[in-house]
Amino acid sequence: MTETSSSSTKAQRSPGRGGLSGLLHRHENLRGFLLMTPTLLVMGVGIIAPFFILVTMSLWTRQGFDFDTTLTMANYARTWNEPIYGALLSRSFWISGIATVATVILCYPMAYFVAFHVHRNKMMWIILMTLPFWTSYLLRVFAWKVILGYEGVINSGLMAVGLIEAPLEFLLYSQEAVIITLAHAWAAFAILPLYVSLEKIDKSLLEAATDLGDGPVARFMRITLPLSLPGVIAACFLIFIPTTGDYITPALLGGPDGAMIGNFIQLQFGPVNNWPMGATLSMVLMMWISLIALVFLFITRLAREKIA
Amino acid sequence: MDIVDQLGAVREGKMSRRAFTRSLLASGVAIATLPAGARRAMAAPEDQGTYFTWGGYDIPELFGPYMANNNGEMPNFAVFGGSEEALTKMRGGFVVDVSHPCNQAMPRWVATGLFQPIDPSRLGNWPDVIPALVDLEGNDAEGGSIWMAPFDWGQTSITYRTDLVDLEGKEESWDILWDPKYSGKLGSLGSGADAWWVGAIKAGVDFKDIDTPEAFEKIAAVMREQRPLMRTYTDDNTTLEQALSSGEMVASMTWASSAVQLQAEGVPVKFAKPKEGALTWVCGLMIHKDAPKVDKAYEIIDSLLSVETGHFMINDYGYGHSNIKAFDAFDAAKLDSLGLSKTPSEVLSAGHFQVPQTQEWETKMNETFEQIKAGF
Repeated sequence: MTETSSSSTKAQRSPGRGGLSGLLHRHENLRGFLLMTPTLLVMGVGIIAPFFILVTMSLWTRQGFDFDTTLTMANYARTWNEPIYGALLSRSFWISGIATVATVILCYPMAYFVAFHVHRNKMMWIILMTLPFWTSYLLRVFAWKVILGYEGVINSGLMAVGLIEAPLEFLLYSQEAVIITLAHAWAAFAILPLYVSLEKIDKSLLEAATDLGDGPVARFMRITLPLSLPGVIAACFLIFIPTTGDYITPALLGGPDGAMIGNFIQLQFGPVNNWPMGATLSMVLMMWISLIALVFLFITRLAREKIA
Repeated sequence: MDIVDQLGAVREGKMSRRAFTRSLLASGVAIATLPAGARRAMAAPEDQGTYFTWGGYDIPELFGPYMANNNGEMPNFAVFGGSEEALTKMRGGFVVDVSHPCNQAMPRWVATGLFQPIDPSRLGNWPDVIPALVDLEGNDAEGGSIWMAPFDWGQTSITYRTDLVDLEGKEESWDILWDPKYSGKLGSLGSGADAWWVGAIKAGVDFKDIDTPEAFEKIAAVMREQRPLMRTYTDDNTTLEQALSSGEMVASMTWASSAVQLQAEGVPVKFAKPKEGALTWVCGLMIHKDAPKVDKAYEIIDSLLSVETGHFMINDYGYGHSNIKAFDAFDAAKLDSLGLSKTPSEVLSAGHFQVPQTQEWETKMNETFEQIKAGF
C-alpha cells in the first residue's frame, strides 16, 4: 500500500516538471551534453569535418586542374622521398623550437617578477605586459621589418653610434629575423600560463625551504621550477605548435633561406595548384608536431619524477 | 547615465545586478548593430564592382571616370601577386567582376570556362583601343566579342642603381642579375610568370621552344645559379622599390613602374634596355562568368581604358596604354625615354613577347621555380 501511494504521489508531481525538464532532471549525462551542444556543433562543423576533408584530399592526387580521387599514398611517399620536404620541415621545427625556447626563457623572469615581487595592481602589470599584443599580428610583423630593416632602427642606431660602418644585412631576410619576430610576437602566450602557475605556488613552501637551509638557487631549482613546470609546458606547446606552421612571418621576413613549411603549403594551394599535396603536407606537419609533443611530454614527465 | 556612473552605482549598491546586466545587454546590442547602420550610411561598398588585380592597380588615379559615375566611390579591390595564384583562387570559388591577366595566361583562363566574352559595343572608349593589342592569340570569342580587353602593355627588365652598378663600359645586359659581384644585393619579382621567362632569355632559349625538356633544364639551371645571389624574391613592388632606394639592393628585375616611380623621387636608377632584349607583355581585363555586377564590370573596364587613366599609366607608371589618344599628350622623346611607342608592336617585338603555354607547362614551371626559390 505504502509502495503504491508513494509512487502515485511521484506520478502526480512529475507532470508539473514537464517532459524535457523531467528527463533532464533524471539524467545527469544528458544535462552535460545539452550544455556542451554549441561547442560540440562548432567542433563538428569547424574542426572534425574539415579534418576529414583534409585526410581524404591528402590521399588524392592532382590531375591537371582537377583531382584524381582514387585513394593513394603517393603524396606521402613524395614527402618522404623528396629532400625538399624534409628539409623544410626540419627547418620549421628548428626555427620554431629556438623561438619557443627563447620566448619561454625571456618571459619566465617577467612572470616571476609579477608573481613574487609585485603586490599591488598585479592585473595592471599583466595587462601592461600584454599590451603590445593588442595590435594585429600582421602589424607587429611589419613593425619588426622596420626595426630589422636595412635602414631600420637597429642598423641606423648602430651606425649613428659608430659601431658599424655598413648596415648589418643578416638582420632582415634571414632565419634569425624570423626567430626574433616569432619570439616577440608570441610572448603573451608564454607570460600568461607562466604567471598563472607561478602565482599558484604556496609561498610557505619557499619559507620552509629557506628554514631548512636552502639558498636562493637551490630553492628555485627544487621548489619554484618544478612547481611551475605545468606553466612552462603549456607555454612551450602554445608557442611551438602554431609557430611551426607560421606563414606570414617567414613570408615577410624570411627571405629565400627563411621559408618554412607553412609557406610551401600556401604555395600548393596557390600558384603550384596542387591541393592534395598541400593537404598531405598539412597532415605530415600535424603528425610530426604530435610526435614531438608526445616526446616532449615524456621527457618532462621523466624530469619531474627525477626532481620529485 | 554614462558608464562610469553605472559602475559607481553598482559599487555603492544603488543599482541592482539585474539592472546593470540589462544596461550591459543594451550596450552590447547597440555595439553589435552599429556597423550595420554605419555601412548603410556610407554609400555602400557592396554596391561597387570588384576588381581582382596586381598590386599597384588599386589606386584612385586609375578610376576617375568610374568614381565620377559612382559618387566618388572606387571599386572594391582584391590583389594578387601572380596571375596563376589569381586563377587558382577563382577556380576555388572566388567570384569577382573583373580580373587582370596577361596575354600569356589568357587562353588558359578562357579554357577554365570561368569567364564571359566582352561585348565591345558596351565600352565607350573601345573605338580608340589600338587594334594590334586586341589581336592576340586566343582572344576571339564568338559573335565579334573578345575575351580580354587590352589595358596595359610594356616591359619587364632590370631597374638598377646607376651609382652602384658599374657597367665597365659594357652594354646593359641581364647578366647584371647574375653577377656574383652583387651577391646579396639583387632582387627579383617572385612570380614565375615573369622570372621564368627572364630565365629563358638569359639562358638563350627561344620562347617558341620554351615547352621542351631541354629548355626546362637550361632555365632551371640559370635560376639555380641566380638564387644564392638573391636578397629576396617578392611579389610586392614596394619592397623592391624601397630596397633599391636605400641601396639594400643595387639591381632588381622589375616592371617599368618601379623605375619610373623611383626616378620621380630622385633616386638614381635606370630601367635597362638589356642587349638580349627585355620581356614584353600585354595585359588586359576579363569579366567573370558569374560577375554579380556586370554593369559595374563594364564601367571598371571603360574607366581603365579612358584617356585620363592612360595619361597616368604612361606618365607615372611608364606602362603602355591601350588607348591611342592617351599617347597624344606625350612627345616622341618622352615616350622613347620611357621605352614606349605609339606603335606597340615596335616595342613588343623588339623584346621577347610572351607566348601562351599549356596548363601542364604552367603548373610544372611554377612547381619547379618554387622549389628553386626554396633552395632545391
